[in-house]
Amino acid sequence: MKIWSDKEKMSREETRKLQFKRLKKTLHHVYENVPYYHEKFKAAGVKPVDIRTLEDLRLLPLTTKEDLRKNYPFNLFAVPKNKIVRYHASSGTTGKPTVVGYTKNDLKVWREVIARIATMGGVTNEDTAQITFGFGLFTGAFGLQQGLEKVGAGVIPMSSGNTQKQIMIMQDFQSTVLIGTPSYALHLAEAAQEMGIDPKEELFLKYGLFGGEGSTEEMRAKLNEAWGIVATENYGMSELIGPGVSGECLAFKGMHINEDHFIAEIIDPNTLEVLPEGSVGELVITPITKEGLPLIRYRTKDITRLDTTPCDCGRTSVRMAKITGRTDDMLIIGGVNVFPSQIEGVLLGIKGIGSNYQIRVLKKGYLDRIEIDVEVVNQDLLVSVTLLDQLYKEIESKLHTILGIHAGIHLVEPKSLVRSEGKAKRVIDLRSENQ
Amino acid sequence: MLINQLSVFIENKKGHLSKITKVLKDAQVDIRAISVFDSAEFGILRIVVDKPEVGAEALKKAGHVVKQSYVLAIDPSDKVGSLHDVFALLSDNDVNIEYVYSFVMPNNQGAPLIILKADDQEKAIALLTASDFSLIPKEAVYNVQNG
Ligand SMILES: [Zn+2]
Repeated sequence: MKIWSDKEKMSREETRKLQFKRLKKTLHHVYENVPYYHEKFKAAGVKPVDIRTLEDLRLLPLTTKEDLRKNYPFNLFAVPKNKIVRYHASSGTTGKPTVVGYTKNDLKVWREVIARIATMGGVTNEDTAQITFGFGLFTGAFGLQQGLEKVGAGVIPMSSGNTQKQIMIMQDFQSTVLIGTPSYALHLAEAAQEMGIDPKEELFLKYGLFGGEGSTEEMRAKLNEAWGIVATENYGMSELIGPGVSGECLAFKGMHINEDHFIAEIIDPNTLEVLPEGSVGELVITPITKEGLPLIRYRTKDITRLDTTPCDCGRTSVRMAKITGRTDDMLIIGGVNVFPSQIEGVLLGIKGIGSNYQIRVLKKGYLDRIEIDVEVVNQDLLVSVTLLDQLYKEIESKLHTILGIHAGIHLVEPKSLVRSEGKAKRVIDLRSENQ
Repeated sequence: MLINQLSVFIENKKGHLSKITKVLKDAQVDIRAISVFDSAEFGILRIVVDKPEVGAEALKKAGHVVKQSYVLAIDPSDKVGSLHDVFALLSDNDVNIEYVYSFVMPNNQGAPLIILKADDQEKAIALLTASDFSLIPKEAVYNVQNG
């Protein structure tokens, strides 16, 4: 199997040397060009010159989504706006999204890291790749498209939804690679069968590159079985670059991190101390080649562990295990990040409903579905069913605007929601139960 | 002339109506007229009871959303087309009917009586009275024995 770049085969020593060199450059870049980081470093009593080894990285303060929120939209950008050639945004914890910007070189790096993970997953220039991520403000689709083109694969930018057409194009264009969230891929397989098409016999898929949401070995087995493919998982987030931070090779021993572009650490989410290699904890990533939005020690909130033991594929890069959880309450609904606080923000702004609500996340077939119970408190709504209906539609459309997904709304009586003692149990995730 | 009606929010799920009727029963409140206006997900239960204040209080205490509002009770008399005459009279005089439902009283010999909510209740009363339609007084509705 081909390895895209020699950078993936460097010795650990070479990798560390390159990482340190690039880290220093990045630290000077942010210290000089991002006032927020300048102040943050100052407050922590460190300067870029104080970082003398790779291990000294831990002396630097961590960055969180809250820092991005505080600097909305562009205050963490390290280059003038005229150097930015692409914007993307993901949902934030409150109404405002998290904005990311790419310079020309950032896009080049993005293409490179995607080319690597595509190659890891088995894709070559002989392939035709169908992308079922949405092309839009959310990162994902565009990065994958450009990286796959770099590999030489033919890209079909299907975007999300339109299930029947997806299957038709897949058959007619003879797609060999399917790209999207694992749950949507399972949904598509079911849809193909319903259309009377046997995914294994009548379609041409060989590989699946999945990401945007966590996945399990059971899910991989299902995907492989349903489509007759070899499924791999990849990882990333818009704040860091989008997809492309890491990806699985065909040895299936974890996701290789593109270490010449990202430094990975594992911290204890409570003490914030760096944990020894092999420990389970929160993944912290420092991009070391980014120009537009170089974040220092970004807390991903994802729980995993790192492994530097040699991999059968020949790559020497560190591997991260499948994400096993989150250190915050973020929900991933069909690949879209949703924070309960966003939902709360919307609900609190609507008249006639109570402050109590409950979110249920469930699987409908293979697709994630979010349902929200909302308490009707205002008796004046009882003048007509139309008023209730208007309230219902208002909630639904406001949530769609903020979350980018459709939530099922249930108007319920006040006090019918379980009020637990102490902290209210706002979110019930039933997805693992009905699988 | 105006009858005190209770409107209660209902979720369209099993057992919800009986939860409401149980509250009323336990409070010894009798239902005179009842109707449900609903969509697929939720609805409004409209009831006329013998002791509206007691009923509303009991329902609120039990955690239900209750609104008290005033409606008219009309005896359209038992002759062909009389219901149409009521609606036509109101409509010709620009009074909108928001909703209407029927009910019977044990001592009522003729056609079902109707509960009616108009946008301009005062005008509706004046029109109906002037045209000799019989409006049922609230005492008669609340208290069957005197009806
Ligand atoms: Zn490998």
